[in-house]
Amino acid sequence: MIEELNIAFIGVGGTGVITAAQIIAEAALKEGYNAVQGEIHGLAQRGGSVLCEVRIGSKVYGPIIPTGRTDIIVSLEPIEVGRIAHKIKDDGIVIMNTYKILPPIVSEGKAEYPDVDKIKEIISELTQNIYSLDAYEIAKKAGFVQAMNIAMIGALLALEELPIKRETVEEIIKSRFRKETHESNIKALELGYNKMKDLLKNQK
Amino acid sequence: MSKLTEKLVNTKPGKSVFLLGNEAIARGAIEAGIGVASTYPGTPSSEIGDTLFTLSQFFDYYFEYSTNEKVALEVAATAAISNVRSLVCMKHVGLNVAADPFMTLAYVGVNGGMIIVSADDPFAHSSQNEQDNRNYARFAGIPMLEPSNPQEAKDFVKIGMEVSEKTKEPVILRTTTRVNHMSSKVILGEVIPHSKPHFEKNLKRYVTVPSVARIRHKVLLENLEKAKEISEEIAINRIIGSGDNKFGIITSGISINYVLDAFHMLKINNVDVLALGMTYPLPENKITDFLSSHEKVLIVEELEPFIEDQVKRIAFDKNIDVKIYGKYDNILPRLYEFDANIVSKAIEKAFNVSGSHIDFEKRRKISEKLASLIPPRPPVLCPGCPHRGTYFAIKQAVKKKNVKPIYSTDIGCYTLGIQDPMNIGDLLLCMGSSIGTASGFSATFNKLEKEKKKIFALIGDSTFFHTGIPGMVNAIYNRHAVTFVVMDNLSTAMTGHQPHPGIKIDTPKKKTKPIKIEDVVNGVGADYVKVVNPFIISQTTKAFEEAIEKEGLSVVIAKGECALTADRRKRKEGKKIIPFEIDYEKCTLCRVCVDEVGCPAIMWLDNKPVISPLLCDGCSVCAQACPEHAIRRGKQ
Repeated sequence: MIEELNIAFIGVGGTGVITAAQIIAEAALKEGYNAVQGEIHGLAQRGGSVLCEVRIGSKVYGPIIPTGRTDIIVSLEPIEVGRIAHKIKDDGIVIMNTYKILPPIVSEGKAEYPDVDKIKEIISELTQNIYSLDAYEIAKKAGFVQAMNIAMIGALLALEELPIKRETVEEIIKSRFRKETHESNIKALELGYNKMKDLLKNQK
Repeated sequence: MSKLTEKLVNTKPGKSVFLLGNEAIARGAIEAGIGVASTYPGTPSSEIGDTLFTLSQFFDYYFEYSTNEKVALEVAATAAISNVRSLVCMKHVGLNVAADPFMTLAYVGVNGGMIIVSADDPFAHSSQNEQDNRNYARFAGIPMLEPSNPQEAKDFVKIGMEVSEKTKEPVILRTTTRVNHMSSKVILGEVIPHSKPHFEKNLKRYVTVPSVARIRHKVLLENLEKAKEISEEIAINRIIGSGDNKFGIITSGISINYVLDAFHMLKINNVDVLALGMTYPLPENKITDFLSSHEKVLIVEELEPFIEDQVKRIAFDKNIDVKIYGKYDNILPRLYEFDANIVSKAIEKAFNVSGSHIDFEKRRKISEKLASLIPPRPPVLCPGCPHRGTYFAIKQAVKKKNVKPIYSTDIGCYTLGIQDPMNIGDLLLCMGSSIGTASGFSATFNKLEKEKKKIFALIGDSTFFHTGIPGMVNAIYNRHAVTFVVMDNLSTAMTGHQPHPGIKIDTPKKKTKPIKIEDVVNGVGADYVKVVNPFIISQTTKAFEEAIEKEGLSVVIAKGECALTADRRKRKEGKKIIPFEIDYEKCTLCRVCVDEVGCPAIMWLDNKPVISPLLCDGCSVCAQACPEHAIRRGKQ
């Protein structure tokens, strides 16, 4: 029985951040757990920073994950994790997509895109468990770049901490998306899963 | 039928569905047997109306997207006066628009139950202020309920209807963003049919001339007394805990969750909670008992000390010896929204307990370090947004005509024009204010000082209908020299693509008659009117060049479909979105695409512009802006 498992999804609006969180919340419910999901939407349809939090377990109440209690951060863009990294619990897990989306302010030359290694170094003061993968390349390999978020879910499912079966998520994908995309989405899920399993193995 | 609609329609009572707070409110209204529902969309309330709109095809009630909140409230109020249960929903500032009928509706009262949903927005996530609308309940003198999660959001609509009918007053259902946008399991209930409409002429109640107002004010206070009795008895004002602890917390709404999360974090279970579901009028006797039986009481509420002020008044009147903590001692802030961390710190401070083992200082430093490195990524106009073309054209025209522009802006996606590189937007107050404030600039500079400024008023299509029309009439009548830019993306986009009076949304049950913006503008006698396609830059720029030269009110209506609705439509039609690409043989690295177009799909990577195929919407605005013609539609 899980008392409290907190997962934060962060990324850029339009790349499937909220969808990814919804899929995980729905899957947790299907597996018989209590789940609470919170998000801020209404602004930032595409291009702005988006955070969506999923809380699973018998002892979760509010929709906001308290600071220091985020078990897993799924960052769909490399630097976005930095906006909420201080909320991760000691030795929590970060899964980071390496596909960069430059904020317009960077392209305009008014700010710099930071060195991702530097971001990781700062986060490592709280946790060493940072895993990076190129979900864009994975999705492209699966034949559908829009499946980038699904590849990230695949990686998330490879974690033992998450009590959700891949088949449960596959079912949800099939019920949620257009039929033409099922095959590539499920492929992206599998490739993301395998990639993460490799990363975990190499760490040991 | 979408999966959610199917669940909301077909799930058997007693079974649960994972619902957003707003979807739960809509379902609650249907279970409560509403006959009429209305709204003007506004985040964080929007999905209530959207769900009611969709479900109106499957259940027996009337729903409308009204022109603005005032009208929406008048529509729903009349149904409730006519013995039919009704619900109207809006964001907190929407109630300001509806405040005029709202205040007097309290005098007139209702016969069928009526719920007014006020969706407040602590932290102003998507609003121009964070006003605390609980004050409206006290201001008008009507009951108020505050749900803390989606289950309560649904159930409180039903309970609220009963309170409304017992007190003969409309009831405010006050939510906050985190309740509206929180999803969790909700157990559904039975749906009851709406009651029969009935209206009996009664001049001494329904026509509020002064002599009637004086009679009805007395009735309102009597109804409030009934509400006080209900507040004492109602089960949603309950104690969590044994009740015999030394310390207690009085709280309501979303804060109840933060208190419970904080207890779990601090590993404490020796604090009682008086959790209030009905927060106006407060249960005075219950609070008296709670204060009398505890040594220290902490009031946990976001924004204003609404409960705290009243609780302190009760403690004073009843001469209760208790220490009350809250806002005045700065244990809890009056600004922004709470979370479990803020609440747990307040609990530690007030009750002198400790249990949190998190090094907040270390985390604050890490957060600061990261924030200093990571550039902000605020909301921006989407790739493919029609407003980008409009703004680009305005800037071209302003440059060519060499005028000093001042931009009154308004509420909608186009407000995002304040971001670089457009940097368009100088003053914003509220919905529909752009044309009024533009008239103010005209009065202050062009009329008073004869200092010639080129004044623009920017407005969206939905906002134009909402409250833009009276300001436009004023500008024409009083001869203000303003260029009024109506940015018509054929949708109320920012709140989730609701229709407005310009959009046809006929359903088998309801017909609409769309109104053309240009007909309205021509009808009131604007001095110059041009409709342009903002995806064609040359045409749009030319219209602005002409409009700038005109005396009086010149109107440019830039009509182009919202990128998101266009994408959805194209997907349905089986059309592909083909991203643009850069021909690096022609590109001279002049930076116009990133410095002047400012589309999030164009990034400056490794010293050259790159178009992300993931983000590009294929709108062609950057290609038209590129002086070297180095941007072209990709192959596919």
